[in-house]
Amino acid sequence: MSTATDLNRPAAPPAFQEINSSRRFKNRLATILVGLTFVLALAPLVWLLITVIAKGFQYVLNADWWQKSLAGLTSRQFGGGVYHAIIGTLLQGLICAVIAVPIAILVAVYLVEYGKQSRLAKAVTFTVDILSGVPSIVAALFIYALCITTLGMPRSAFAVSLALVLLMIPVVVRTTEELLKIVPDELREAAYALGVPKWKTIVKIVIPTAMSGIITGISLAIARVMGETAPVLVLVGYTTFINYDPFGGSMASLPLLMTSERLTTNEVGEARVWGAAVTLILIITVFNLLGSLISRLTSLKTK
Amino acid sequence: MISKRPVSVLGLVAAGALALTACGSDNNTPAGGNNSAAPAPTATTQVECGGKKDLVAEGSSAQKGAIEAFVAAYGAKCSGQQLAYTPSGSGAGVKQFTGGIVDIGGSDSPLNKDKGEVEKAAERCKGNPAWNLPLVFGPVGIAYKLDGVTSVTLTGEVAAKIFSGAVTKWNDPAIAAVNTGATLPDKAITVIYRGDESGTTDNFQKYLKAAGKGAWTKDAGKKFNGGVGQGAQGSAGVADAISAGDGTIGYIEWSYVQDKKLSAAKLDSGSGAVELGAQGAAAAIKSAKVKGEGHDLVLDLDALYASNTAGAYPLVLATYEIVCSKGYDADTAKAVKAFLNVAATDGQSALADAGYVPLPDEFQAKLLDAIKAIA
Repeated sequence: MSTATDLNRPAAPPAFQEINSSRRFKNRLATILVGLTFVLALAPLVWLLITVIAKGFQYVLNADWWQKSLAGLTSRQFGGGVYHAIIGTLLQGLICAVIAVPIAILVAVYLVEYGKQSRLAKAVTFTVDILSGVPSIVAALFIYALCITTLGMPRSAFAVSLALVLLMIPVVVRTTEELLKIVPDELREAAYALGVPKWKTIVKIVIPTAMSGIITGISLAIARVMGETAPVLVLVGYTTFINYDPFGGSMASLPLLMTSERLTTNEVGEARVWGAAVTLILIITVFNLLGSLISRLTSLKTK
Repeated sequence: MISKRPVSVLGLVAAGALALTACGSDNNTPAGGNNSAAPAPTATTQVECGGKKDLVAEGSSAQKGAIEAFVAAYGAKCSGQQLAYTPSGSGAGVKQFTGGIVDIGGSDSPLNKDKGEVEKAAERCKGNPAWNLPLVFGPVGIAYKLDGVTSVTLTGEVAAKIFSGAVTKWNDPAIAAVNTGATLPDKAITVIYRGDESGTTDNFQKYLKAAGKGAWTKDAGKKFNGGVGQGAQGSAGVADAISAGDGTIGYIEWSYVQDKKLSAAKLDSGSGAVELGAQGAAAAIKSAKVKGEGHDLVLDLDALYASNTAGAYPLVLATYEIVCSKGYDADTAKAVKAFLNVAATDGQSALADAGYVPLPDEFQAKLLDAIKAIA
C-alpha cells in the first residue's frame, strides 16, 4: 500500500453520485408518460376547435350573421343571422351576473371575514358545496316548479337567468372565498392598528387586494353559464325573432338555437348549427379575454 | 392603491354592450336558398291584422317547416307581427297549451278524451271547448338506403311485415313479388323507428293496421310497437340513422326525406305504384273525412289509409293546430285569427316547396269558417 496520498482524490465521495441507469430509466419513463398524457388531454380540445372552426367559421364572416335574425326564413333558405340568439345569450348571462355576483361576493365575505368557524358558516359552506354539484337540469326544473308552476309566471328569459343564478353563485362563492383567504392577515392587522373599522378594511383593503382574481372568477363563471343548455330548453321558448324583453315572450339563445336547428337535417341547418357553435366559442373567448384585461387593469400596482 | 377604478372599466364594457344592442334587424330577404319560397305578395285574402304582437306556439316537429312558411307569410302580410314556434313534439305541444303557456298547440294527434286532454283544454279556454284544426298535411315516406337499388315498391301488407319483423331480408319473396324485374340484394333489413313518442309513429301504425290486410297485429299509438329494429330520436335522428346505414328502412316526413336526399319507397295500394310526393298525397287527402263536431275538425284517416284510389299516396299525416274556440283575451284572439287566416290562405302556397301538401279547397273553406268563429 502506497503511503502517497492522491491529492486530487476527494476526501469523501461526492454527495451526488452518478445517476444509475435504473433511476435514469424511471426519469425518462415519467417524462414520456407526462408528455403523452398532456398530448392526450390536449388532443380532443384541439380536434374539437379545429372541427368547429373548419365547419362553421365561413358563416360567421358574413356581416349579416352578426346583425340579423333568422326571422321569416324557412329551414331551406340560407341567409339571416344569429343576432337574436347573441342578444339572448348576452342578456341572460348579464342578468344572471347582476343578481348572482353581489350575493356570491357578500356570502364569500361573510364566510371569510365574519363567519370563520361558526356553525352558520359551516352550514353555508356545506350548502354551497351541494349547490355546486347540482346538475343544470335540476336547477332548471326547480325554477320551473317554483316560478312557472307555483307562482304562475310565464316562461321567460328572466326565469332562465334565475336558474343560471343557482349555477353561478357556488362558482363565484368558491373562487372569491379562496381569494379572500389568501389576502395576508398582516394587511388587515395594519388597518386595524390604524383604527380603521372592520367594514372599511374589507371594502378598502381586502376586496381591492383580491379584486383582479375575483373578476377573473366572475368572467369564467359567466362564460360557463352562457353555454348552459338545460335551463333554456325548459324555461323559455325558441323564436327566430329579436326579443329584448327578458320578462316576456320567447327569446333565443345560442345553445337553444343549436338544439332547435339540429332538427333541420339539411345543409342550411348544418350551417346554422356550426356557425352558432363558432359564435358561442368566440363570445366566451371574448368574455375570458375581457376578464383578464379588466383584472390586469384593476390589479394592484406592485410598487 | 388601485391603478384604475374598476367601476369605470365596467362602465366601458356596459357601454360597449349597449352599442351592440343597437344594430340588430329582423328584416330578412332569403338569399341563396335552394327552394326560394318567398310568399307571394299579391295576396288574395282579406286579413284583419293586429292584436298581440308576438304569439307563442309549441308542439309537433312534423309541422316545423310548414309553420316556418306560415310565419314568413304572416310577417309579410301583417308587418311586425310574429309567432315563435318551438318544435318540441306533439306531447309537449298539448301539455304547454293546456297549461296555458302557449297560445297555439301543435299536435299530430287530436286532443285525447281518454287522457283528459279535452277537459284540461276546456279549462284552459275558460270553460270553452278547444278546437283541433288540421292546417298542415304532409305525406310520410318509407325511406330506405340500399346500395345499388334506387327503386323499391311496397304495399301496406309488405310494409307491415317488414316493420313487424316477419320479413327480414331485402330479397324476401314478399318484397320480390311486388318488385317484379328488380334485383334485390341478399341483405338484412334494419328497421329504424322513432324511439320517442311521436304522432308520426301513431299515424304510421294506423296506416299499417288499416292497409296491412291483417299483417299488422300490433296496436297503434305514439310508441312504436313493431318489436324490431333500432330506435332513433326524432325525425332528424331517424333520417340520420337511415342514411348512415346500408339496408336500413324507416318512416319519416317527406321534408326530411328531401332534406337528407334519401330514396323513398313507392306505395302500391292495389291500383298501381305511387311515388312519394305532393301529387299523390293531395289525391289521397281529398277523401279525408271529418269526424269532429261543428268547427272541431278532427279527421278520420282510417278510411283514407285503407283506400285504393288510383294515383293516391295513402300514407299521409294530418297535423293539427289546437286553439281555443273562445276564452282568449281580445288581443290574443285577434292575432290568433289573423295568423290562422294567413296560414290557411297565403301560407299554403309555400307548402309544396317545404315538403307538405296544400289544403284541398273544400277543406280550406271549412277551416276558414272555423277560424272566423273563434272569438
